[in-house]
Amino acid sequence: MTVITETASAPARSTWLTANVAGLVLLLLLGYGLVPLIGSDYLMDAVLTPFLALALAAVGLNVLTGYAGQVSLGSAAFLAVGAYAAYNLNLRLPGLPLLANLVLAGGIAAAVGIVFGLPSLRLRGFYLAVSTLAAQFFVQWALTKFGWFSNDNASGVIDAPVIRIGSLTFSSATGRYVFSLTTVAIATALTARLLASQTGRNFIAVRDHEVAAKVIGVPLLRTKLLAFGVSSFLIGVAGVLWAFAYLRTVEPAGFNLDRSFQILFIIIIGGLASLRGAFIGAAFIVVFPLLLSRLGAAVLGSLFDSGVLEMSQRIVIGALIIAFLIAEPRGLVALIDRAVAATRRFRSTRS
Amino acid sequence: MLLSGLTTPLDVLALETWAPGTARQVLAAEPSGASAPVADGARAVLRLANISLSFGGLAALRDIDLDVAEGEIRAVIGPNGAGKSSLLNVVSGLYRPDQGEVWFGDHAFRQVPTAQLARHGVARTFQNLALFKGLSVFDNVLMGLAHRVRAGFIRQVVGTPLARRIEAENRAAAEDVIGFLHLQEVRDRIAGTLPYGLQKRVELARALVARPRLLLLDEPFAGVTLSEKQELAQHVRGARDCYGTTIVLIEHDIGIVMDLSDHIAVLDYGRKIADGPPAEIRANQAVIDAYLGVAHEDETELAI
Amino acid sequence: MFDYQFLIEVLVGGLLSGVMYSLVAIGFVLIYKTSGVLNFAQGAMLLFAALTFVSLVERGTPFALALLATLAIMVLLGITIERTVLRPLINQPPITLFMATLGLSYVIEGAAQLLWGTQVHGLEIGVSDIPFDIGGVFISRFDLFAAGVAGSLVALFTLFFRYTRTGLAFRAVADDQFAALAVGLRLPRVWAAVWTAAGIVALVAGLLWGARLGVQFSLSLVVLKALPVLVLGGFDSITGAIVGGLLIGAIEKLAEVYVGPFFGGGIEAWAAYVVALALLLVRPSGLFGQKLVERV
Repeated sequence: MTVITETASAPARSTWLTANVAGLVLLLLLGYGLVPLIGSDYLMDAVLTPFLALALAAVGLNVLTGYAGQVSLGSAAFLAVGAYAAYNLNLRLPGLPLLANLVLAGGIAAAVGIVFGLPSLRLRGFYLAVSTLAAQFFVQWALTKFGWFSNDNASGVIDAPVIRIGSLTFSSATGRYVFSLTTVAIATALTARLLASQTGRNFIAVRDHEVAAKVIGVPLLRTKLLAFGVSSFLIGVAGVLWAFAYLRTVEPAGFNLDRSFQILFIIIIGGLASLRGAFIGAAFIVVFPLLLSRLGAAVLGSLFDSGVLEMSQRIVIGALIIAFLIAEPRGLVALIDRAVAATRRFRSTRS
Repeated sequence: MLLSGLTTPLDVLALETWAPGTARQVLAAEPSGASAPVADGARAVLRLANISLSFGGLAALRDIDLDVAEGEIRAVIGPNGAGKSSLLNVVSGLYRPDQGEVWFGDHAFRQVPTAQLARHGVARTFQNLALFKGLSVFDNVLMGLAHRVRAGFIRQVVGTPLARRIEAENRAAAEDVIGFLHLQEVRDRIAGTLPYGLQKRVELARALVARPRLLLLDEPFAGVTLSEKQELAQHVRGARDCYGTTIVLIEHDIGIVMDLSDHIAVLDYGRKIADGPPAEIRANQAVIDAYLGVAHEDETELAI
Repeated sequence: MFDYQFLIEVLVGGLLSGVMYSLVAIGFVLIYKTSGVLNFAQGAMLLFAALTFVSLVERGTPFALALLATLAIMVLLGITIERTVLRPLINQPPITLFMATLGLSYVIEGAAQLLWGTQVHGLEIGVSDIPFDIGGVFISRFDLFAAGVAGSLVALFTLFFRYTRTGLAFRAVADDQFAALAVGLRLPRVWAAVWTAAGIVALVAGLLWGARLGVQFSLSLVVLKALPVLVLGGFDSITGAIVGGLLIGAIEKLAEVYVGPFFGGGIEAWAAYVVALALLLVRPSGLFGQKLVERV
């Protein structure tokens, strides 16, 4: 009876915060110290920055789907809302500092998310999943259709401004990477705090047993809408990073259903209801195609063109989703935890 | 065999005419057993007045009256489909009765607002476990106080004095109940990974943590082993004695109900056919013939 | 002066294209009814069927032989899916199964295009698209043909489920899985039959849609058109799928013609979803879906 939702959220919270603080500090040192020093521009530009943006989006979706149990297929819509909101805020309110812009853009995404979360009060499961598709199609349509959003670009393409905070500019690959890392670290830390609070417990309660939660006095309406709001806020901020720090030129078509699925796949593969899972899954999704293309080229040579790469990527990702759902619904994070536990046991028996 | 007794409409009719009036008189006149105070209509913690409920054309409850006095343990028994669970669901607002009222103290409701239940001092458990499987035992218990958290989510994230104070109070209360029900050893385990009997105890802890005035238990002893049953019964009695909680429990394990309850109400086909102290229910040959033996045999199999 | 003739033409066109939606939706309903899975891979199966058929024909296989071969492949595919994906996930919550079929759709789409390539194929099934003129209202011949095929498929399934043993088993399982299991029905066999049926529906729908849009990747996105149909009609009702399809088809066309201009057009992409959602808020299990009483 492995219910996907009964993932190990609580140990993730209670044990890794205490035991792995050292690891977290080490990771941050690595991220701020070593990587900018020795990493190449390619690494930061094409690997780490998209990884960070996707990880934050996955953290956002995990709040909604992993913790609060409301499946969404419309994540890309909120990425887009964040990106276009930040673009317009920057364009139309020239004096607005970037940080305020970032938070406001997240807020706008949250507002849109809450509107599309309203059906969750009456719908569950597939019906809700299908209704989140409405967000996906509507947002993409609106951004293409109404020129105002893209300052009257014919196909809705926007060019992001240079990231500038006070007198600091973050225009180099390193700068944009550091900006993303900082944003993601802060947003994730705040999310972790939220999830450890009563609100976080309420999310899981609504997911695990809605009726019992209601009887206890958990405000269902507020809890669900809050989950949609927080989730869309985080995904919106991730969208700003995606547009401003990573691609710098985006179009509505880039935020399509495949992107929504990608974010969903990140949390399934990484681990539902786990913040670490969001990061591990995002790392996997970013690194995996690179590895696959190297591997394919090495084995098949010139036969392995971009078309073949894309298709085999689809097949492997799809197969992995199925495999994880069957064999380890708690995702990569559970596999890693188990491996760590096994090595510890091995070491302690040796000594 | 015994069932034949209750299929003839005549008998049901006879029982029905016997039950509501007399039982209530007995209830009002006699001091109840155990330590519960005298049942006094004015101070009833829970009162059902003339409740009827039907699904489609099927009547689940018919004209049910029930008074539960403060501090008593009241069992509601009856065979499968007698309407026991429906009764509890009406009391907790999950079903809306076709007619009648539910009273909590001085508040009367046509349909109990489920979301307000905790604020009215009412808690319940569920027949099939309703724990939050992904949360630890401690967090599950803490959830029983969710309605007390008045700080909004931003205050919780920031950790304002108000939010911190509420959290500390709630944690202390949760620790308290966990100690009371001897759950310290599994305090940090994920609830979904515990054996069934323990999960039942965790659910009891979650319901008790808010110190409810009225606790509704939906088949608390179904599917647990004999020793666990005795342990749980101890805890239920302890909850009444230490916390002063009034308890209404639905059960088909007659032995346990007889020892545990101050009063027993008997339901059949949605009607209350008897209501009185255990000794009286035990002595009532018709009730025993018609329900107790039968209910005990066929339900224990289905309970799991 | 309001042009009623034009209105009727739009309406009929919408209804006829709605039949095509129904056809896809029926594939979903078959599987949902028996195993509680919303099979997102239905679109991918449709693409796979159409692509396989076209590629066989292009390689010189006679029409009938290609049809048979594709049919055989679809049956095989259905059985494989049941064995490898659904059986290991038995007793999992529906939403897990749904995500598994999402993964499945990626595998099938990838495999179809890896096998047969990614270029667009034309598919000629011998029905011209010259419109009939009926009392001044123009109706597409192809649409009529498609509606006829869809109608006979539904009739065929109805007969099958009413008069064969497998059909009886199907209805028993759809009614109550546990009871069906208890009386000794072999669920896997019923599921295999259902996935086979879904494969056949995918083939027919794939050919019709392929003939209309060309056989290419976007064919698998037809699934997104079928979802609001399902929401509207209820996931577990074949009648619902048909009525829902007709409604969505008509609403989409009418909305595009009469409401679209106010928004600058292109509202086809989401109008169906908005209508379906609005209905859901009133009837959470669709027009024809079963309402479940929650037991606690």
